[in-house]
Amino acid sequence: MVRKKGYPEALEKKLRDQRYYREDSNPEFLPKVKAISRTIAHMCFQCGTCTGSCPSAPRSTYRIRQFMRRAVLGLENEALTDPDLWLCTTCYSCTDRCPRDIAPTDVIMAMRNLAFKRDIIPVNFLKTVQAIYSSGHGVPNNDVNRAARERLGLTRDPPTTHMYPEYIKGIQTILNHYNLKANADRIVKEREG
Amino acid sequence: MSEAKHKFAFYLGCIAPNRYPGCEAASIKAMKKLGVELVPLKGASCCPAPGAFGSIDLNVFYAMAARNLVLAEQMKMDIALLCNGCYKSIWEVNHKLKHNQDLKDGVNEVLKEIDMEFKGTINVYHTAELLYNDKFIGVQKVRDSVTNPLKGARIAVHYGCHLMKPHKDREFEKESMLNTEHPTWMEELVSALGATPVEYRNKMQCCGAGSGVRGYDIVHSLDITNEKLINLKEVKVDALTDICPFCQLQFDRGQIEIQEKFGVTYGLPVLHYAELLGLAQGMSPQDLGLDLHGISCEPFLQKVL
Repeated sequence: MVRKKGYPEALEKKLRDQRYYREDSNPEFLPKVKAISRTIAHMCFQCGTCTGSCPSAPRSTYRIRQFMRRAVLGLENEALTDPDLWLCTTCYSCTDRCPRDIAPTDVIMAMRNLAFKRDIIPVNFLKTVQAIYSSGHGVPNNDVNRAARERLGLTRDPPTTHMYPEYIKGIQTILNHYNLKANADRIVKEREG
Repeated sequence: MSEAKHKFAFYLGCIAPNRYPGCEAASIKAMKKLGVELVPLKGASCCPAPGAFGSIDLNVFYAMAARNLVLAEQMKMDIALLCNGCYKSIWEVNHKLKHNQDLKDGVNEVLKEIDMEFKGTINVYHTAELLYNDKFIGVQKVRDSVTNPLKGARIAVHYGCHLMKPHKDREFEKESMLNTEHPTWMEELVSALGATPVEYRNKMQCCGAGSGVRGYDIVHSLDITNEKLINLKEVKVDALTDICPFCQLQFDRGQIEIQEKFGVTYGLPVLHYAELLGLAQGMSPQDLGLDLHGISCEPFLQKVL
């Protein structure tokens, strides 16, 4: 990987532009992103169809094309610490339209997976994990809804883990296998005390 | 009623049973009239939420979705579900595990701890797909089942994202369902109920809720929703219909939040297609729990009942 070319200072400065490899390029980043996303991220030719299709782009500084470039250039820190990483709604419009058949959405997902390994994650994601760990549901039932269900001729609790809590143990075993609950609890506690 | 022609394990997800139970009740009753029996999928959990779980660790996402799939495999039944987000998790993980031995092996290693094994023996369908595909039901049968045509109602469709996108990966039998730029198959289903389907600007845009954005940056998320509501207001519709309870939550409860945060009021009733179908087949608004909606469905109901 090209890091420094020994050109005059003005040219070095230009090369530090994010169109090129930089000091902090990590050559391991792209393979990691590709392995997790299972998409051909290196094939991106920066046409911008992705950003042009993105509902988050017009109302923020989030640019999916920029994240694609960061993947190719190995700009790991820049990608994983950018708060815009979490503005993708995963609508898959970019993936739907990408002329190179890349899945930029899955590149974002892979980068989020890598960010989580560094404890970089918005707390609301972890609260969903906690809810599922205790009830099996990300959006659990409540008393108003139980009464309504009864009125509609449904069981007060749906025939899911809510009605059969004996199934929750299996879910907890899966989440514990990946140490996810412990990590979620730890990070939420660090952030919120 | 003759015996059901098709039987499916009914995967509920979270928001339909726990926030809009009318979607669940209407799906079971309406589909039964159309010869499709939806059988409870005991012990199912959250799909899990593709954005939230996928963002944290895709391996956990695969394993959790696989557990739900195995429950249906054990019943020897295909899955039917009523939510786009669930479709993304359940259909896509089923598809991925069937076609990638390494992923399947990884998932089965975890499932072994809970005495389960993903075999890849079933298929997954969205109820909207069952309604549209004449192999199962088809538009004509839907039309024939209508006893209370929703005449005079102008209804716009929100397709949502995760049922159809990315179309390159999808395997719908009906080719019209692979059109993600300007699909009209849901409009056909709306017409079948006697209502007038209405086109609007940027119909295929996301609702804005997905992948934790609603929890991460609510104003950003609602701004996307608001853009759709502006476009819908332009064409003066009586209701918006969706096939995803999470989109429904974003448009329905979201309108209340938009009013609080942006000071704009739309009062646009938002109904899952199952709820519309229930109404058109003669179910009452009470049977459908429409009073649980954040935005009153009254103006729309006055028009069609």
